[in-house]
This record gives sequence, C-alpha cells and structure tokens, in this order.
Amino acid sequence: MEQTKNVILSIQDLDVKFTLRSQVLHAIRGVSLDVYQGESLAIVGESGSGKSVFVKCMMGLLDANGYIDGGKILYNGQDLTKYKTDKDWLKIRGKEIAMVFQDPMTSLNPLKTIGKQLQEAVELHQGLHGQAAKKAVLEVLSDVGIDDPERRYKQYPHEFSGGMRQRVVIAIAIACRPKILICDEPTTALDVTIQAQILELIKAMQKKYNLTTIYITHDLGVVANVADRIAVMYAGDIVEVGSCDEVFYDPKHPYTWALLSSLPQLGVKGEDLYAIQGTPPNLFYEVHGDAFAPRNPKALKIDFVEKPPFFEVSPTHKARTWLLDPRAPKVEPPEHIRLLREKGVKIHV
Amino acid sequence: MTKYITKRVLHALFTMLIIITILFALLRMMPVEGYFENYDKMSATQVQVKLQSLGLTDPLYKQIVRFYGQLLHGDLGESNVYRKGVAITEIIGEKIPISIRLGLMALCISLALGLPLGIFMARSTRTKWKIGDKLGTVFIVLIQAMPSAVYHILIQFAGSQTHIGRDILGLPMLFDASNPKSYILPIISLSIGNIAYYAMWLRRYMVDEANKDYIRLARAKGVPNGKISRNHVFRNAFVPLVQYIPNSILFTLMGSLYVESLYSVPGMGCLLVTAIKRQDNTLVQALVLIYAVISILGLLFGDILMGIVDPRISFSKKEGAR
Amino acid sequence: MKNLGFRPLRNVKTDALGDSILESMKQPPLSDEEAFSFAEFDPESAERGGYSGYSYWGSTLRAFFQNKIAVFFLIVMVTMLLFTFIQPYLPGQKDPLLIHNDEWGLPLNNVPPGEEFWMGTNSIGQDLWARIWAGTRTSLFIGFTVALVEAVVGILVGVLWGYVRKLDFFFTELYNVLDNIPQTLLLILISYVLRPGVSTIIFALSLTGWLGMARFIRNQIIIIRDRDYNLASRCLGIPTWRIILKNLLPYLVSVITMRMALAIPSAIGNEVFVTYIGIGLPVDTPSLGNLIQTGRSLMTVASLRYQLYFPVLVLVVITVSFYIIGNAFADAADPKNHVK
Repeated sequence: MEQTKNVILSIQDLDVKFTLRSQVLHAIRGVSLDVYQGESLAIVGESGSGKSVFVKCMMGLLDANGYIDGGKILYNGQDLTKYKTDKDWLKIRGKEIAMVFQDPMTSLNPLKTIGKQLQEAVELHQGLHGQAAKKAVLEVLSDVGIDDPERRYKQYPHEFSGGMRQRVVIAIAIACRPKILICDEPTTALDVTIQAQILELIKAMQKKYNLTTIYITHDLGVVANVADRIAVMYAGDIVEVGSCDEVFYDPKHPYTWALLSSLPQLGVKGEDLYAIQGTPPNLFYEVHGDAFAPRNPKALKIDFVEKPPFFEVSPTHKARTWLLDPRAPKVEPPEHIRLLREKGVKIHV
Repeated sequence: MTKYITKRVLHALFTMLIIITILFALLRMMPVEGYFENYDKMSATQVQVKLQSLGLTDPLYKQIVRFYGQLLHGDLGESNVYRKGVAITEIIGEKIPISIRLGLMALCISLALGLPLGIFMARSTRTKWKIGDKLGTVFIVLIQAMPSAVYHILIQFAGSQTHIGRDILGLPMLFDASNPKSYILPIISLSIGNIAYYAMWLRRYMVDEANKDYIRLARAKGVPNGKISRNHVFRNAFVPLVQYIPNSILFTLMGSLYVESLYSVPGMGCLLVTAIKRQDNTLVQALVLIYAVISILGLLFGDILMGIVDPRISFSKKEGAR
Repeated sequence: MKNLGFRPLRNVKTDALGDSILESMKQPPLSDEEAFSFAEFDPESAERGGYSGYSYWGSTLRAFFQNKIAVFFLIVMVTMLLFTFIQPYLPGQKDPLLIHNDEWGLPLNNVPPGEEFWMGTNSIGQDLWARIWAGTRTSLFIGFTVALVEAVVGILVGVLWGYVRKLDFFFTELYNVLDNIPQTLLLILISYVLRPGVSTIIFALSLTGWLGMARFIRNQIIIIRDRDYNLASRCLGIPTWRIILKNLLPYLVSVITMRMALAIPSAIGNEVFVTYIGIGLPVDTPSLGNLIQTGRSLMTVASLRYQLYFPVLVLVVITVSFYIIGNAFADAADPKNHVK
C-alpha cells in the first residue's frame, strides 16, 4: 500500500434520523469509519442502505427533514457535526471536500454556460478572476479530456452528451482543489462504454491532484476497478470493512457473501442466478440484533437478539458478524465465493 | 431562433385573423339601437335607410371584405352615439395617452414591488418560522381570491374616504390630470393585482428551483447561499416568469376598464365602458378589436421574450404551453 | 404480485422471533451453545421491508386536515353554504324584493342595521339581510353552474382530444386560437349582444372556461399513454380502465375539484365586473354583484356605508374560503407533500 496511514476524516458513532410522515426514520445507526489520506475508499451497499445519506452529512447537504442525532465527524481537528450555519459549511464545501453527483443530466444548470459554471468554482476556490480564471477553466477542461475547450467554454449543458457532462461535473469538483473527492454513483447513469472512461478519469485526477477519493456505489464491478478499501453498508450500518482483496476474496459477513454471490458474472450457464431473498428492513423500527438476520438462511439465534460487535480478521479487515465469534459454528461461505477465489480474477467493468 | 420567432408571429397573425372574424360576426349581432342616437324617435324607414348607408344591410361577405378593407386603411369607422360623426380613430387618439401612461407606471411598480416580494417570500421558506412567507401569502391570497372589482372599490374607499386617506394623505377620489396625488390610488389599484401575481409565481418557481440537482451541486461547490439565491435560483426562476409579464399587461388592460371608470380617468378603458353603457356599436366594435389585438400581441411578445431568455428553446419545440 | 409493498407496517413475525428468543434467553438464560446455534429461517419474514400502508386518499385527507387554516375555512364555508340555503326557511325572514313601508306608507329606505332589519335596508326600502342571502344564492348558483359546465365540457373535449390522435392537431390549433381571446372581453361582448341575465352570464363564462380543463385532461390522457409507469402497467396486463382508475383518477379528481373550487370565485368576480359596466344582472335579481355596485355608489355617504360593507364582507369570505380550500386540497393531493 502506497498511501500513508494518516486518517484524514474520522466518523465516530454517527446517528442520523429523518422525520417522515410524522414518524422517525433511523437512517444511519451508529456508524464509525476512518478514511485515510490518499486512499480510494468504496462504500458499497444496495439502494436504501444509507450510503448517500452518510456522505451528505460530511458536507452538510442533508435534506431538510434530516438531522444528526449523535456522533462525531472529525476533520482537520474540527467536529463537523457541530457545523450548523452556511458560513461554517462554506469552509468545507468545495474547498476541502467536493462531490460528484450521480445524474449528469440534472447536475448542471441548464441556463448557464459550462464556462460560467466552471469559472464560478475557480473564482471561489483558486482566487483567480477575469482572464486568469478563464485560463484556469480552459486548463481544467482539457485536464478532464474535453476537446476544443475554447469552443466548449461558451456552450450550454444541453449541447453536451452524458459522458461529457459528467466530465464537466468532475472538472468543477477538481477546480475547487479539494482534499477529498466524493463520487456518488458517478457512473450509474452512464452508458457502459463511457463508464470505464469516467472511472479512469477519476483515477487520473486522484493521482494528479493527490486526492482522497470516496466512491459510493452499488456496482461491485466499479469497486473492483478502483477501490483500495471497501466498506460494506447495510441498513444504515457498516457491516464489513477491509482492503479490496480481503473483501473480495475473504469476505466474512453473510451479507457480503450474498452481495458477491449476486454478481451476474459468477453465474453458471443454465442455472438460476443467485438473488438475496427478501428486502431490507424497515428503518422506522428499531432493529434488534443483526439487521441482515431475517434474510440470512444461516443466521444464528443470537443474531436476532444482540447486535454483533466488530470482529477483527486482520489489522485492516473487520466484520460485524457473530459468525466470527469463537463460540460460533464454522460456516463456509457459499459456492459462488469459492468460485471467486478459485478464478482469482478481478471482475472488470 | 429566427425560425421560432417567425413561427410565433405567423401563429399570432393567424389567430388575430380568426379572432377579428369572430368579433365581426358577434358584433353583427349587436342590438340595432346601437347605431343610432335617438332610435326611438326614428321611423322604420329612417332606420332602414341609415342601416343601408352604414352598409349593414349588405350580404355578409360584402360586409367582411369592406370591414377588412377599412381596417387595413386604419379606418375604424365613426361613432354614432357617443360623439356623433366623429372618426373613432380620433376619439381613441385622445384617450390613449393617459391610459398608456398609467399602465406603464403601474407595470413598473408591479415589477419593482412584486419581484422583491417573491424573492423575499422564497427566501423566507428556508427560515424556521417562515414569517415572511406567511405574511406574504396572506396578502397574495386576499388579492387573488377577491374579485378585482372588489379590491378596487376597497382601495378607492380606503384611500379617499377614510380619515387617514382623505384627511391625512389628502388622496382624492377621482382622477384629475393636474393633481399628481390623484395618480396614486389608480396606480395602486392597477398594480396591486400584478404585484400579488408576480410574487406568487416567482416564489413558486424559486422554491421549485431550490430543490433542483444543479442547485445542490452549486451548494456542494461551496457557493454561498446569497449568491445561489441570486445567481442561480432567481435567474432560473425568472425565465418562466417572463411569460407572465405580457399576461399581466393583459390584466392591467382589463383592469383598466374598471379602474378608469371608478376613478373617472379619461382613458381607453373608461371609453369602452361608456361606449357599452351608451350602446354605441361602432365604438364598442372598434375598441374591442383594439383590445383583442393588444392581448394577442402581448402574448406573442411573451413567447418571443421567453425564446430570448431561455437558451433551450431554440433547440426544442415549445408546444404553446402557457 | 400481491405483495407490491402494500402490507401493513407492523411486521410481527421477526419481532416475535426475536422476542421469543429473548424470552427463552431470560429464563433460564440460553447457554452459549444455544445462542450460537442456527435459528429457523423463515423466508416470509425476510420480506419485511416496505415503507407502506400508503393509501393515496388516506394521505391526501391527512395532509389536508393537518392544514389547520384550510380546515378552518372549510368549516366556515360549509356553515355559510348551509346557511345561505336554509335562510329563507328560517322564521322571521323577509322577502328580498318586498318594499317595506312605515306606518305612514312611506318606504323605510336607508335604515341602518338594527333590531328589525339586521343589515338595514337599501335605498328603496328592501331588507338588506334578505337581499344579501338571496344575492349569495344567485351568485353561487352562477358559480356552480359555470364550474359544472366547464368540468363536463372540458372533460369530454379533453378525453376526445387526448385519445383520438387524429384530432389532436385540430384541437391544438383551436385551443391556441381560443386561448388568445381574453375571457373578460368575450364576456363583455356577449353580455352586450344578448340581454343581460343569469343565463347570459353563465353562457358567456362557460364559453371559454372549459378550455383550461380540456387542455389539462388532454395532457393527462396523453400521460396515460406515454408515461413509463403506465406502460409498465400495460405490460403487466392491467386493463386500461384499471390504469385510469388507479393511476390517473386520484390525481384527476383532486385537481378537477380544485379547478372547480377556483372557478366559483372567478365566476362571481366576473359577475361583479360585468354588473359594474352595466351589462350584468338586472336590479330586481339580487346578486352580490349588483349589491356591491349599489353599495359602491353610496361610498361617499358615511351613514350609508353599511350597504357596501355587508355584501363585500360576504363576498370576501366566500371567495377567500373557496380559494384557500381549493389550493389546500391541491397541495394535499400532490404526492410530494405526503412526505411529512
């Protein structure tokens, strides 16, 4: 591992709730995670697991009916959960942490030229104005691989294709010169052929600008391609964290098994594809024990009663499952996981 | 872009043609008394003769042709009751300036007050108690719900009959060109409807815009709230609003019918009301025509304005949705 | 397909399982072996998810009644409506057209509000209280009828316009032309041409009123055909009538009611306007329009101002109520607002 082991962002016991239809939804349930400087961290999980909410907290972009009910987010010696006003967050947004959103079709203001939107970021964060700013904009446009930046500068978003727009969004994020770049499903809305390009671009930018990248995705293929470390989220909690190799080849949590088994690439011709039974739990209610238990055919009785703590598998790999408790019976991961090990092949996009 | 404009203009012309023809047909159904100032005293033959001289007994197609012919020459006919024998264009020419003056002033005021109110209300929705929004809404609801006829009366009443209005501010009840104070109440009456209208729509659009993805991105970029509100939310919300401006010119026009007669302003609106009361057919016909044309032109300008302000329009087909 | 997420919120099964295990752990406590043995796997309880129990009408009504202001005005309006129609049957009410004379046979005109005449009398001795309620009835009648005609004609035309593709072009052009005609202008013209009266006003207002409704319905119909979730429904084999019933009707009904609610104040407003110009209802048919008109002409005389206040008050209450209720209902019916 090349990166230094400096923790750049540390989330501790974060609790986030939403008021919805006069009920309280407990979206993030006591999550702790450390992010190391310079790494590529991927947060994986299905829709509704809380991944987006989690990262929005880091920039103060929670919806109006959401609030942080406990825990800390430590960055640069500051606790971001204490930030309430716009002024506070302006110190972080863009400048320290920047975000790339999922849908490039709606991320750009349709009534402003690309150039203007980029220039806004440049002026705010690089302190340049006028011609110098424009020059910086043209530079960053070529950086992200957009040809003929002079002409493109004056164009409107609807004159760009989806992939190009996403490049622009990335350019905006880069132009802010952040330390951390969060990419929320950056390729989900794009064609498969473009996906690889965008991922390569982000990787290149990370290298060039020395960024720490956090990817949010439900696509394991993307993860395999870009991540150094993986955090698996389920029902508002992180259930397994480890390096990419560890999580892919030696997963420990039944949910991770299920997730990996669902990779269509592992399917055997002529047989049914594996699918996890059931649906994620309703977070309006208190979760007793392991949230994944109801869907886990190999669940232990204690999974329904008490929430498992993290068990360490290695200094970099831990999982929240009672199966790692010395008292638990030995359970082998399903067929598909062994296939993954045997094939020893990284699943490419 | 030019294609869009040409298309719109042609459309408007076509619509105008149809409307004028419809108006023409309707007006032919007007009660016959309207052509004479002393109908009861005339004998049947006299009536016939007069009608003939006015060309009203000719077959319809002839009348239409003559009608259009006259129009193209700028001839709107003569008044028969209001001011007998006087060319209508002359009558109108006297009345228009004051209407335009009042109308323009009202327009400026509605924009100057309505837009800031809308912005203020939209901003206030993001605060805890939303007081500004609530107060503004009370105002808007009252104005929008009440028929304009009623609040015009109330404004005139409050302004000229109450102690504050009449004695302290010295606001007169009727309009008098030489008294600048007498401009105040009519202009308030003319503009208040539009103030509420602009404020309501601007607020609505701004609140909608604020939830859009690209606004979230701007916020994530680190753009301060004030700047987002001005440069992004307002700028974008203003675009669809632009189409309402000509519409509200229409409101002012129609409103002026009522307001002008309430305050006895010697303008076009008052003229139309008088023409109707006195049953002067040709005058009514001419005025209604003018109003219709102005309305269509107004809507046309709205569409053109939209085309200019919204860069997406030249590229996509806009389906006449208003 | 039966479990499309519409199960009741409470999931008893998993809770019960957990509870029973907890119970058994308490007395006597489960040994480690027991605790770490496999639990029964119940596939059904795995299906727990679903933030549902969502009912469109339920949420709409709930959202509406959460709006205290709207509820207040609803009560006000219903009371007023009831009263308006019950009033003539109450004891001691006077005829709106009857001219009251005093003991010397002289008309009791311009009597200020008091015991005998709760809202006073007008300039020819008619009881204002009775006239106001009669006027309200007339104005409401006009309003309701116009709204009804607008709805019926609008829906019919709209459905035709939306469904029959060949007619779309024709109707669209027609719409564009008619839309440009200012309604007030048409109203004036028609009232001028025909004799002023209740049917004239209804006729004139209905002529252009249906346009908005037709266009709206037409847009909705097109949505039936074209929206993804409806295409999906069709792919699933759901018959058209059911798509209309479940996907469209909820939205349609609420917005139609709103448009109707707003049409009523608008019609009343137009009536007031037209009366002012002189082509409204004749004076012997009391309506809010001519009552306000008469009141207005007496504005300058302080003692007679009550003749203006009362009709204006009634009018304001009615129109504001309808407006607020209409808008509140539309807001409540919008699923985006079912979030709180």
